[in-house]
Amino acid sequence: MAVVNLKKRQIECKIVYYGPARCGKTTNLEYIHKTFTQNVRGEMISIDTEGDRTLFFDFLPLEIGQLKGCDVRVQLYTVPGQMRYASTRKLVLRGADGVVFVADSLEVRREQNMLALKDLQQNLRDFNLNIFKIPLVMQFNKRDLEDAGIPLMSLEQMESELNRQLKVPAVPAAALKGTGVGKALQECLRLVLRSLQQELNF
Amino acid sequence: MSSNLDLKGRLSFLNLGELLQLIGSSGATGTLKIISDFTTAPGVIFIENGNAVNASMANLSGLEALFGLFGWSEGWFEFSLGPVNCVKTINKGRMEIILDALRLLDEGKIEKLRPAAGAIIEAPAAPTAKTPPRRADLSPLIKGPLVDYAYVVDEESFYDGDEIVREGAHGDWIWVILEGAAEIIKTTPSGPLRLMKVGDGAFLGSVAALLSGDNVRGATVVASGNIQLGMLNSQQLTAEIASLPNEFKGLIKSLDNRLHFVTHIVTETHVHNGSFLKLIQDKKLALKEGQNEDRLFQIREGEVVVARNTESGYLPLAHLQKGDFFGNIPFLTLGHEPHAAAVFSSGDLKLAVVDTVALQGAQQRLSPTLRHIIEHLAACISATTLVAINLFNKSGLSRERRIQDGNATL
Repeated sequence: MAVVNLKKRQIECKIVYYGPARCGKTTNLEYIHKTFTQNVRGEMISIDTEGDRTLFFDFLPLEIGQLKGCDVRVQLYTVPGQMRYASTRKLVLRGADGVVFVADSLEVRREQNMLALKDLQQNLRDFNLNIFKIPLVMQFNKRDLEDAGIPLMSLEQMESELNRQLKVPAVPAAALKGTGVGKALQECLRLVLRSLQQELNF
Repeated sequence: MSSNLDLKGRLSFLNLGELLQLIGSSGATGTLKIISDFTTAPGVIFIENGNAVNASMANLSGLEALFGLFGWSEGWFEFSLGPVNCVKTINKGRMEIILDALRLLDEGKIEKLRPAAGAIIEAPAAPTAKTPPRRADLSPLIKGPLVDYAYVVDEESFYDGDEIVREGAHGDWIWVILEGAAEIIKTTPSGPLRLMKVGDGAFLGSVAALLSGDNVRGATVVASGNIQLGMLNSQQLTAEIASLPNEFKGLIKSLDNRLHFVTHIVTETHVHNGSFLKLIQDKKLALKEGQNEDRLFQIREGEVVVARNTESGYLPLAHLQKGDFFGNIPFLTLGHEPHAAAVFSSGDLKLAVVDTVALQGAQQRLSPTLRHIIEHLAACISATTLVAINLFNKSGLSRERRIQDGNATL
């Protein structure tokens, strides 16, 4: 749930990047931090959690303007996927306003994607959030590896295996090169704002 | 205690990480006290303009103390606004501290403050719902959880009204509904009877068919609107079932028997044949409805009838014989005994108590798909039970029965 800070006239909301280990969550956030410098506030905080890094920084989507005279401030996070990081995951996921699910296009990661998605559903449910209701965007990452001759799943296959029931916007991406990174974030922001407007009755 | 308390509460509700974020976003300056029952001296965190600048816990100070306080998961916090006069030793950003502390906590590097041995541990809450919610609608819609595509080997589409499975035909494919809904229809002497509707995530087909090779379809399934089905990998499922402990296999079989029996009750009630009411007559009450019984039994000899006390008297829901299970299945809700039905037994009943811990262990090790199939079987039993009770109450069968019995004794 977004926090309205009347003192600073800001609405703070939270977008979480979720996905199987090494699917490119961190790359997404690093690219955003590096590229959208005019929007980024403060340093990127990086915590070395085993297997995956946990990243966090503040992001001001300037182009969307103000909501009822309040700036919108977005906190971007990645979540460590491993079981043992329960408290970290709890802090990050509690009150998440939107999720970008980063799926790995590599054929060998097919199952990991499904498990991560199921995990996300379970974790959200633990915080009384519903995967069908929360603003969610899918990103099918690593599309560029096709050129390197690595077997990838087709977009249609990923769409039907991961997104058939959810029916959320899906963006093909190559996070290392930045393709589809901005679009996934933008789509998620759009959904978050729409749900904020409904929630706050703006 | 300071008189100018501005915020006070329980850490179990708002943990330290959330609390620091909350105070941080308000940009407040003041002192945050953390009080725990398990230690005498409170921990103190000094906050300036929303950021922690120093802390103390036991004989520690600075960041080390602040990290240590994250291990106090139970206790109270008190925040009072006011200037702080202390050396600034913490220079890290707020979120960095919080994320880092939680990582250390998760990695077991921060000691968790716990009650000493011998403290009271709260018992897990017992399920309070005695019966599943009753619905007036005769055909409930059953949905399943998100589909696990790892088990889906093929997809099929059917149009509205298409027959997917025909009662009496042979086949042991199990499908999962990817999208859409289907109606389960049972043939009765007085025409087809709509039992229920199933939706996304529900399974079509019987898991017991994989177990026993008895592959006659028990009901007709018709697409209700256009429907997309995923065919499950039956080889994988069969292999998994084959590797289950014998008792677990027996339990699945027994659950399948229950579904068949309660479906039989529905069709018999529908055609107004109350002969099943005789089942209870020569049996004595062994377990009252709602009686506290957390054991699970397997029948070695004799037979048992599970019956719900409805507004029109006892309605048999299951007829169990040698090898069948009854009692409390810790991981499934059937809407039957011991919470929502009574058990009647024959005189020669011999039982074995089942090791539910082992059973639960086997259940935990199931693949998600097989677990969902078994949960779905339980949901079908519970839903069909409601259909049976509704029909029975409307049928007036019990009254006729009583009159007949009355005539017989006269």
